[in-house]
Amino acid sequence: MMARPFALVLVLVAALAASAAPAAAQAPITAVRVPGAGPIVDPDARVWKDARPRAVALLPQTVALPHLAAPAVKELQVRVVHNGGFIAFLVEWKDPTMSDRLVSDTFGDQVAVQLPIDAAATPPSPMMGNAGGRVNIMQWRAALQHDIDKGPRTIGDLYPYAWSDVYPDEVLGATDAKPYAGALGIENPVSRGVASPVLDQMSEGWGSMTVKPDQHAVGKGVWKDGGWRVAISRPMVSDDRNAPRLVAGQRTFAAFAVWEGGAREVGARKAWSPWVPVVIGR
Amino acid sequence: MAKVYNWQLGREMDFPYEVERPERQFAMLFDTNKCIACQTCTVACKTTWTQGRGQEYMFWNNVETKPYGYYPLGWDVTVLDKLGVQAMDGSVYTGKTLFDAAPTGEVILGYLPDDLDYAHPNIGEDDATGVMPQGAHMTMPHMQWMFYLPRICNHCTYAACLSSCPRQSIYKRREDGIVLLDQSRCRGYRECVKACPYKKVYFNSQTKVSEKCIGCYPAVEGGRQTQCTTSCIGKIRIQGFLGKPDTPDADNPLDYLVFIKKVALPLYPQFGLEPNTYYIPPVHVPAPYLRQMFGWGVERAIETYRNAHQDPKLLAAMTLFGATPEISHYFRVDGDAVVGYDAKQAEIVRVPLREPTVVRALYDIKHKVYRTNIT
Repeated sequence: MMARPFALVLVLVAALAASAAPAAAQAPITAVRVPGAGPIVDPDARVWKDARPRAVALLPQTVALPHLAAPAVKELQVRVVHNGGFIAFLVEWKDPTMSDRLVSDTFGDQVAVQLPIDAAATPPSPMMGNAGGRVNIMQWRAALQHDIDKGPRTIGDLYPYAWSDVYPDEVLGATDAKPYAGALGIENPVSRGVASPVLDQMSEGWGSMTVKPDQHAVGKGVWKDGGWRVAISRPMVSDDRNAPRLVAGQRTFAAFAVWEGGAREVGARKAWSPWVPVVIGR
Repeated sequence: MAKVYNWQLGREMDFPYEVERPERQFAMLFDTNKCIACQTCTVACKTTWTQGRGQEYMFWNNVETKPYGYYPLGWDVTVLDKLGVQAMDGSVYTGKTLFDAAPTGEVILGYLPDDLDYAHPNIGEDDATGVMPQGAHMTMPHMQWMFYLPRICNHCTYAACLSSCPRQSIYKRREDGIVLLDQSRCRGYRECVKACPYKKVYFNSQTKVSEKCIGCYPAVEGGRQTQCTTSCIGKIRIQGFLGKPDTPDADNPLDYLVFIKKVALPLYPQFGLEPNTYYIPPVHVPAPYLRQMFGWGVERAIETYRNAHQDPKLLAAMTLFGATPEISHYFRVDGDAVVGYDAKQAEIVRVPLREPTVVRALYDIKHKVYRTNIT
């Protein structure tokens, strides 16, 4: 194994210093209390009419390598609601190219909502947290949404004229064929079919993001008329020690990131927002 | 950027990480003069490791015809074109590496192949540089040429895939220098696919993450050579370990051939990754082409190779190619034979340096027939 890059710590400190101050100065988004119970996952649900959209400006990611100097998406519209049990974000943005097909040279559209895990007046680094500054990142992926809505694309779907010999799982059975299934065989959460198109994750800085064993985040994305509308919801309180605890009246923060798959945006090549204050309405 | 020493360039270079060389380095040597592109290695690798869904066109091992064969399409000429003309006038490389040439905001100069670039694994197969006119084959050397280039992951000392992954999902093992991609950490960003100039990391559309050659580490850990090596019917390969370039062990066949005799050369050393597969250059190919592909010293390597029959120790090391499925950590000449030893210095193989030749009479008196094959 090799040492981590030298520049990481210095850049991280710089990002922390640059981000914390403006967050508190902004007018907060209010997570409006709405009736109902359970997760709020429908982008067309009536409850969103109760929340006013807030424009959130996005920045190019030019701190950690690799950079994205000119992101395709410059602004998101964000609404936040909660029903006492679940908080939910509706994120909308213009995207003329719907991208949910993954082959060697194509990438999927994605959006992420980030929350600090520990309540504090000053949040951790908005750039995926920092050592000791844990964040919860709920990332919706268009490719996962496709798998849930229509089933995973097979080789035949991706390459209509494909031909292959017998696959191991056709003769060995599911368990014995696992070693031939790569990341699917070891249930890498970005590979396997999941019940939700949203990955519930924790991060303490660049490169540390980990999909949590317990998945609580849910959501749904709909692409229509050249734009995405994605709802992401999570329990306000859970028994997960690595999840935020949100109560009515509390002040917290949220940050956002978006990837335009059609422009080959992926991973660190993203548009991101600094922290935006959020007040959980009573 | 850290300063690291790249012995193949004869100088220090910039690399994103500080690097401590592994205790020993997985390496493979190929005698391109013996390869016939039968693809037995390719099939052995495929049936062992990449039979699954999403791996249909994924070849951790491939053999391509040079100069017009590529897998994926145009991989090396694309990278060479992006890097541009560089100075290489001696054993110290003064041009830019791919790390030196990284665009602003990037770890390395690279490119992501198109999906269709993987659709032609046999493109250019057996194509020579041009047409041989009537009767041209009667004169040597031939004016046209081609050769076969077998390739696996280079398990580079300064791996581009490893350095470009923002999640550190790729790591290099201290015990043997094998570069592995953690299938549980990878998220399919494809930074590694873009960064590796040899294009030996592949995206799997069914698992949504990337995969690469694992150096047959389960075999290597058990003292056996890789599947592509042991299956080679032409005995063109040997796989083992390299020691440190500044303290080569003359009793280690790989150290002897690479560091001491310099008869096997790295693939595109100017890229700056210190790749760890080494090639005995084809003797019939023009030197300018070979210098671009294998770096400075190709003429000397070919001269050394041509004279191997006069050098018992060199001949001995080369005779170990394909001689045993086990890894020869040490070797020595014993009379008319070469003896290979495992890591505990136990004898694992003994091969005569020259096979005895028997010439039989043209006419078989007993069976009253002429022999058509008399050797």
